[in-house]
Amino acid sequence: MHALRRSRGNLGRLASTEVNQLAEDCAQDALLAILQHLDEFRGESRFTTWVYSFAINIALVAARREGWKRVPLDQVIDNPHLDEWTAGEGRAPADPHRRTLQSETLAVIREAIDHHLSDRQQQALKAIFFEGVPLDEIARHWGSNRNAVYKLLHDARRKLKARLEERGFGVKETLDLFGGER
Amino acid sequence: MTRPDFDSLLRHIWATEEEEISCTECFDLVPQYVDREIAGLAADKKLSRLRQHLNQCGVCREEYEALHDLARLEAEGRLPSTDELRNSF
Repeated sequence: MHALRRSRGNLGRLASTEVNQLAEDCAQDALLAILQHLDEFRGESRFTTWVYSFAINIALVAARREGWKRVPLDQVIDNPHLDEWTAGEGRAPADPHRRTLQSETLAVIREAIDHHLSDRQQQALKAIFFEGVPLDEIARHWGSNRNAVYKLLHDARRKLKARLEERGFGVKETLDLFGGER
Repeated sequence: MTRPDFDSLLRHIWATEEEEISCTECFDLVPQYVDREIAGLAADKKLSRLRQHLNQCGVCREEYEALHDLARLEAEGRLPSTDELRNSF
């Protein structure tokens, strides 16, 4: 219940009785998971903290699923529409140097995404960073798992980082470039 | 479509390490990390890679924050009752 309360945004559509039922279902699933993994507890944390971690994971995964249930993920995830989302920010910075640097950085990111990332990596990147889709939901949509999607994204980030560095862009010049001015 | 968050993307790119732990490894380490934080103990070296994963992974981070919150309430003797939680929906 504690975890579900924190995820109220995902559960807005549900009546309180439905939330209660969801909590009951999650509690049962958590109990099963805890019993299944009981022999893995090594005493490196408090037992209650370890137990809570299962319950929280199960509850928040369920809450995210509920929150994204009605979103057509095949449209959101499977068709990245690169032209739209790398066309640039809505408002360009006033400072001309900053504006130039922003558009150059975007061009490098765009080129790296187009030529160095797989289709899946492009889809996952866009879903996470531009559509706010939780990683769990991407994994579920693809019939995959959280670890696999994280690894896919990690590899994508490594490639983008390498490409930016190869082209002479560093963290100092590019950080705050898109967040500094609104 | 929401506005692309390039600022967030760049921060994540620059914080990328060659080796990063998986979500499963993160899940295994989070309980001891939370307990150490609540006890005011410094995280040891192996937990620094956990912190890096939490900065990169939104779902793991959300679960860590919920666990930290709950464990802290328990440590302070302030766990909410089931009725209080039910009434909050």
